[in-house]
Amino acid sequence: MSAIALYTGEMLDGAVITLELTAGATVVSLVAGAAGAVGRLYGPKALKTFVMAYVETIRGLPAILQLFILYFGLTQFGIDISAYWAAFVWLCLYGTGYAIEIFRAGLQGIPEGQHEATAALGLTRFEAMRRVIIPQAWVAMLPALTNFVVLELKNTTLLYFIGVQDIMFHARLGVSNSGQPLVVYGIAAGIYVVMNGTISRVGGLLEKRAAIAR
Amino acid sequence: MTVVLASIWGVWAPYLPSFLRGLVITMEITGLGLAVAIVLGAILAGFKLSRFRTLRLIATVYVDIVRSIPVLVLLFLAYYGLGQLGFTLSGIASATTALGAYYAALLCEIFRGGVQGVEKGQKEAADALGLGRVSGFARVILPQAVLRVLPPSTNQLSNIIKDSSLVVTIGVADLMARSYQASASTFRPMDMFVLAGIIYMALYLVIARAIERWELNVQRRRG
Repeated sequence: MSAIALYTGEMLDGAVITLELTAGATVVSLVAGAAGAVGRLYGPKALKTFVMAYVETIRGLPAILQLFILYFGLTQFGIDISAYWAAFVWLCLYGTGYAIEIFRAGLQGIPEGQHEATAALGLTRFEAMRRVIIPQAWVAMLPALTNFVVLELKNTTLLYFIGVQDIMFHARLGVSNSGQPLVVYGIAAGIYVVMNGTISRVGGLLEKRAAIAR
Repeated sequence: MTVVLASIWGVWAPYLPSFLRGLVITMEITGLGLAVAIVLGAILAGFKLSRFRTLRLIATVYVDIVRSIPVLVLLFLAYYGLGQLGFTLSGIASATTALGAYYAALLCEIFRGGVQGVEKGQKEAADALGLGRVSGFARVILPQAVLRVLPPSTNQLSNIIKDSSLVVTIGVADLMARSYQASASTFRPMDMFVLAGIIYMALYLVIARAIERWELNVQRRRG
């Protein structure tokens, strides 16, 4: 029993790494994703094609294959990244691919009439974006953004495979030392349920607030 | 260019048969997981739409909890955890269980939305025609709901294909695992993972195309 308590503590230590990677990668992905979506919608043709190909590749390949390409694959060219940085870079690249799609759909979902109205009011393109288009798109994108954070958090479970000391890493150690997979993985599942449940709850609150504000 | 292609082909060719055998296992896991997810998802959706509060509650709790557990954790619970209870599952059976359990939660919501999205007037029309509860549902509501749930379900299918690669962690020799082994034995990880990536992409494109055609067919027949 005390072994279980010990490994629960370790898993919670791992949760800090999990959250750190999720939060960092989410911020980077959202910024890069917004830039990518603007490039995809308003950029020159070559840029559009590049962004489209990037999104398709990220969304078409299994997550673990992408991680392995970064961590193991690059060693073929003599590029050796630490597990932690490979993990972070992968989460950012992956997140950017998905974030581009969310922002693209959000921006495209705004009816053409809104753009025309801003033109009629004589707003510049930047002003129109900031004061009319983005506030509306933001509300529409909230549910997808909540799912996005949950997706990134779930992705961190793969990182134990390359040696990042997240929740799963400690759970596996706990299982091999206690011989109680059901209990240890059950506790790990519980930790993820609490974290993802909290993210969904916060997302729900933001949606409610946005709905009232309108 | 030709030289590069010839040399990479030289690296790939010996491994291609093994990768394709892995692809068969990937497809097997995907197919089995999808089948379990559809059946369990439909049952859960039925619960959610039921008159009985208890059934609705069971489905809601199941969906909310399972949806927030990462698939990898479900896979480990099925593979290692159930063994502790005396149900020792093979790698493929564990993957089927984990993917089936997880995607049932997602499909449940899609199916429920599909049924609820059919206009109210359709049910009233079925009632007016004297169709009973069951045949009204089976002959009027369901066919329309199916059409609505096809596109979002297709999305989930491509997610199942990708998530089936998680079995590399429990030693099932699927496409992912074979590329991982080959990368270790050849010291050419990038070449091997790129080949696996091309095969995954091809599988995804072929299936997406096939389903798109099927959807068009269904739509055309319905007019």
